[in-house]
Amino acid sequence: MIEQLLDVARRRADGGADGLWRRVERTSVAFEWGRLKAAAVTEETGANLRVCHGGRVGVAGTTAAEAAADALVERALASAALGEPLDLGFPPATPLPPLTTFFAPAAEASLDTLIRLGAGLLERLARDGCRVNVAIERETAETNVANTAGAAGRYRSTAVAVSAEVWRIAGDDVLVLGDAFEGADLPGEETLARIVDAIDDRLTRALTIVTPPEGTLPVIFTPPGLEALLLPVTQGLSGKAVLQGISPLGGQVGETVFDPRFSVTDDPLLAGRAASRPLDDECVPSHVTRLVECGVVRQFIYDLETAARAKTRSTGHGRRRVFGKPVPAYTNLVLGEVARGERGRDQRWGELGGGLVRDVTDGLLVDELIGVGQGNVIGGAFSHPVALAYRIERGEITGRVKDAAVAGNAYELWKRVGGFGTDARWTSGRYAPSVRLDGVSVARR
Amino acid sequence: MIDRLTAALRRSRAAYTEIRVERTWSTAVTVRGRRLDAATASEDQGGCVRALHRSGGWGVASFTSLERLEAMVTRADELSRAVRVDPPIRLADVAPHQAEALLELDGDVRGIPLAAKQQLIAAYNDTMLAVSNRVVDTLATYHDEVSEYWYVNSEGTILHQLRPEVTLSGTAVARRDGTIEKGLESIGLRRGWHSVQDKAAGFRAAAERAVQLLDAPTVRGGTYPVVLDPELAGVFIHEAFGHLSEADFVYENPPARAMMTLGRRFGKPVLNVGDNGAAPGLRGTLPFDDEGTPTQDTALIREGVLVGRLHSRETAATLGERPTGNARALSFRHAPIVRMTNTYIGNGRGTLEDLIQDIPLGVYACGAFGGQTLLENFSFTAAYGHMIRDGRVAELVKDVVLAGNLVQTLDRIDHIAGDFRWNEMGGGCGKGGQSPLPVTEGAPHVRIEAALVGGEVAA
Repeated sequence: MIEQLLDVARRRADGGADGLWRRVERTSVAFEWGRLKAAAVTEETGANLRVCHGGRVGVAGTTAAEAAADALVERALASAALGEPLDLGFPPATPLPPLTTFFAPAAEASLDTLIRLGAGLLERLARDGCRVNVAIERETAETNVANTAGAAGRYRSTAVAVSAEVWRIAGDDVLVLGDAFEGADLPGEETLARIVDAIDDRLTRALTIVTPPEGTLPVIFTPPGLEALLLPVTQGLSGKAVLQGISPLGGQVGETVFDPRFSVTDDPLLAGRAASRPLDDECVPSHVTRLVECGVVRQFIYDLETAARAKTRSTGHGRRRVFGKPVPAYTNLVLGEVARGERGRDQRWGELGGGLVRDVTDGLLVDELIGVGQGNVIGGAFSHPVALAYRIERGEITGRVKDAAVAGNAYELWKRVGGFGTDARWTSGRYAPSVRLDGVSVARR
Repeated sequence: MIDRLTAALRRSRAAYTEIRVERTWSTAVTVRGRRLDAATASEDQGGCVRALHRSGGWGVASFTSLERLEAMVTRADELSRAVRVDPPIRLADVAPHQAEALLELDGDVRGIPLAAKQQLIAAYNDTMLAVSNRVVDTLATYHDEVSEYWYVNSEGTILHQLRPEVTLSGTAVARRDGTIEKGLESIGLRRGWHSVQDKAAGFRAAAERAVQLLDAPTVRGGTYPVVLDPELAGVFIHEAFGHLSEADFVYENPPARAMMTLGRRFGKPVLNVGDNGAAPGLRGTLPFDDEGTPTQDTALIREGVLVGRLHSRETAATLGERPTGNARALSFRHAPIVRMTNTYIGNGRGTLEDLIQDIPLGVYACGAFGGQTLLENFSFTAAYGHMIRDGRVAELVKDVVLAGNLVQTLDRIDHIAGDFRWNEMGGGCGKGGQSPLPVTEGAPHVRIEAALVGGEVAA
């Protein structure tokens, strides 16, 4: 399909073309409120084509698998006719790094295997007064990406997602907490046990409700709780935001902006991660990108277009879907300095807060906030009510707090980190430990 | 197409089977700053089969290749049989409908050249850029689509629908040194090309607001009397209450059911809330939902008392209530789940002035950057706000985030004005991995006696 598309495009577009063809098969099972309710399969095939013609760039996408290549090329050319001038260079053929993206146990797992996996988790999470939802999803994909400069990549990949959610409703008190695994292969027994332990521990500690603290306090953000603090940073490190002039980190390469213990790396070559791939969706070979090193801003992420506009090179962060043009996107973000060998597998998640709790006299541990991503994220200011948070008094977690909100500025808070925990783990696409930040505003009502 | 679908239905041995097929033509034009980001036309097509065996679970198969239709009917059938459910899933009765429900296209967007769409959105974008040199970045998006939709089920329902949609959105980013602020404009309707003409004023206002916010102080965190403008009040009722009224939350969850018992008082007698999927031309409007149930105006809270909830056929059967036409799927890639359509707070009496005149110190929260609910707790971010001082609207403030507990907050709504309007915004709602589903909200000005406003607090 892709070769045929590029053949047609080569004849019609004077500046070349690139394209992505992807076929995805997904199988999922859903357990709702404690029982198996549905099983689903999805088969989806799509193609995305980009052409350069007359110094302008256009894109078109389709899921109409039977569609003629000519029609798609025609639409891409119509899009280019309206496009802005852009000198987009397509990368030449380059050797790709070795990387395993396809795991047979995941690909070959039967529907029954997936159902048993979910049922097992459900059983271990059953508790009096609680309802459990579990979802298991397995995906196999075939990706074919190529350009008219001769670069091409074809790989098969697998992805598995397991998520569990426990609900406890007592009167008007609704407590929801969950955990999830995302990887390229089926989770092992140890990973499932950790999901159960993590939920159990947080649930047990949540049964006691205490008055929230108030004032400017030390707050420990767990790996999932860190989202609000990291979102401004990852948005600010995107070359797209820098180009637009809206990133507070623009023009700060080489400057110390963060605590010297703060580092962020994007690593598309980690084995076992669903986001890992040998090349990006624009034929740029994958490599590790150091974004922030010891508090110093080193690099922004770029795809081909943002790199061309910024007069720099793509960092291999082009991601494209069937519809629309490629955009810069992270793969596996790693916070802090963790030895590479350890990153691929989960460490012990250990105690809540990763050992940071004992040094806090009066503060909060935040596991989930409400409304992250709303508002003026990139400016760094945040203000969110807590969804799940615990009070810390004299070095111990004393119970769950409700009706509290935390606020601050992420860039200010990251300048001085109170401490990193020993509980680094993957939370969706990010590997991070718990972090203690001092001087967070805590309000209650 | 209908003949092909009804023939495929006959291959299923399930007690209930339905097939949806969609073909969507869409265009999108995005302008960023002074240049065109992308102008694209797309064609998306596919289908979804759902099958249900007696004592089986739902078997769902979705696909992009129509050549796979027959095979996917068989697959859904097999999946349903592989899932054992006890007690079995039941569906509430809905009379079979055969309908050609072709919504008014109001200027069929498929006939408008891509270049004309580009010119329209570029002009709105220029309006934002022209406001001030403090406007450092803009993003303006035009999106339209027309979906042709076919639906058949094994009970005899046969539907053919044409669903138009058009949205405009604008973001203006103003910057001075390290301070960055934004203003948003958003318009979304289930209409066509005619409905998005002459809309420059809203884009200009968004850019002006972004610039004004550069000088505005952050609201001081604390508990205040809060007045919500109709836009934010609409987002509030969607986020804080609407999701709880979706029956899939309660139908198999006894403690949740106890919390949402019909007849329970949720507010003062001024409060009326509903969801109306049949209101003309709005984003959440459709003649039938994705199970073939006609949409309707469903009362949820009447004079402060919970009187109804939103249903699919499955949740209605479990609770012994009637389907409300709220089973919706984002696209053929998904099975329908219980969703809102156009959710509203009913009209009260009086004006904004009547609501604020006896407030010595409060917050007037306007517009919405977004909202999220975690059932009893919600958070929503106003686009901007004003302090209320001595009964008057006073200085502009920023970073107005309202957080609260649903039950407490609904009960603290003590005054509702008589100036109802639908939001008619773009954007949409997310649930169960299906986002953004087109919905809208409507409300008049609403006063909450006391609510927590996030922001910096004094040490």
